[in-house]
Parts: sequence; structure tokens; C-alpha cells
Amino acid sequence: MKASTNDPRQKKVFFRRYTKGCPLSGSAAPEIDYKDIKLLSRFISARGRILPRRITGVCASKHRKLVQAIKTARVLALLPFSDM
Amino acid sequence: MPLYETIFITRQEISSHDLEKITANFSKTLVDNGGTIVKTEQWGLRDLAYPIKKSNRAYYTLLGIDSPYTAVKELERRLGLSEDILRFMSVRVKKLSKNPSAPLAKNNSYNEEAAEANQRQED
Repeated sequence: MKASTNDPRQKKVFFRRYTKGCPLSGSAAPEIDYKDIKLLSRFISARGRILPRRITGVCASKHRKLVQAIKTARVLALLPFSDM
Repeated sequence: MPLYETIFITRQEISSHDLEKITANFSKTLVDNGGTIVKTEQWGLRDLAYPIKKSNRAYYTLLGIDSPYTAVKELERRLGLSEDILRFMSVRVKKLSKNPSAPLAKNNSYNEEAAEANQRQED
């Protein structure tokens, strides 16, 4: 099955451009939580910026929640505002 | 009563004994104002993503709270007055999980997800 090797959920930072579905939707998807830095850090760039939806493949409603969680985590110094 | 999660960040220089005292003190503030503490978590000394008040590392404490807003407001007022507290934040939550939250959990969502993905591949 070619599709499973293209699954973005198996990669840590690297995202394929043509993903198969939203990585945060579905029954097996993790819950978006501002405390879950390991999860959130998969959706920010190396410089700490939030990655666009077209790269991560996250659906619109989950992306809005994700953005909110990342910004909350930033206030608590769990994630950086920027690299420098 | 509404549920809240309050996280406060305590500066590194204090001892662990003091940290317990501080936590107990703030918990008492909340209880005295009619709230209840559902859970207390010490995340320990963590690296900050950026310096706060010239500190690069600090202690994180999470309180799971079931309390009226007035009690949380009083707690926040006192947190703001304390010089040992670098930063705090209260978040209203729909439910409080009994399980340790992500920074403490050994099997965090990423690991679980990876395990599930492996399983799917095996199937």
C-alpha cells in the first residue's frame, strides 16, 4: 500500500505536500491540547512559526483550534514566539 | 461550577519545599473562597521557550479547579502579587482529565499515534 507510506502522521517534522486527509480528524486522532507540546510542535516550523494548512493538511476547523492551542502554549513559554 | 486549569510558573531559585508551600498556599486561597482543587500537578523544572524576567528555567505547577469565577479571580490576583510567580494563566475547560497531562504522560499522543500507525500497517 503506497498510501500508508505517505501518511504524514508517521513523520515528525516533515510533511508531504499531497497528504491524505486531516491528521487531526478521525477516531485515532489525538486531542488538541495546549499542554501537548510534542503534538503542537509538529505543526510549527523550525523557527517557531505556525505552518499553513496547505502544508500540514489539517482541516479548517481543527486548524483554528490548533492555532489557539499554539498561541496559548506560547504565553506559557512552552513554545517559542520566534526562534530568536 | 465551571472547571478551570490554572498553570503558574515559579522562578527557579526557590527550593522544592518552598514550592510545595506556595502551591498549598494558593490552593488554600481557592478553597477559602468556595472552590475545590480537583488535581495538582508538578511538572518540575522546565526550560522556558524564551526568558521571562531573566529566567531561563522555571517550575511549572498545574491546578485543576472546580470553582466559581470569583475564587479564580482572587487566586489570580494573589498570583499577580507574588514575586516568586513569573507567569500564570487560567483556562476554562470543558472537562478535567484525571490522567496526568501531556508533559507528564509517558505515552503521550504522539507515541500512541505512532503505535497505532504501526498497528494499521501490520493489519
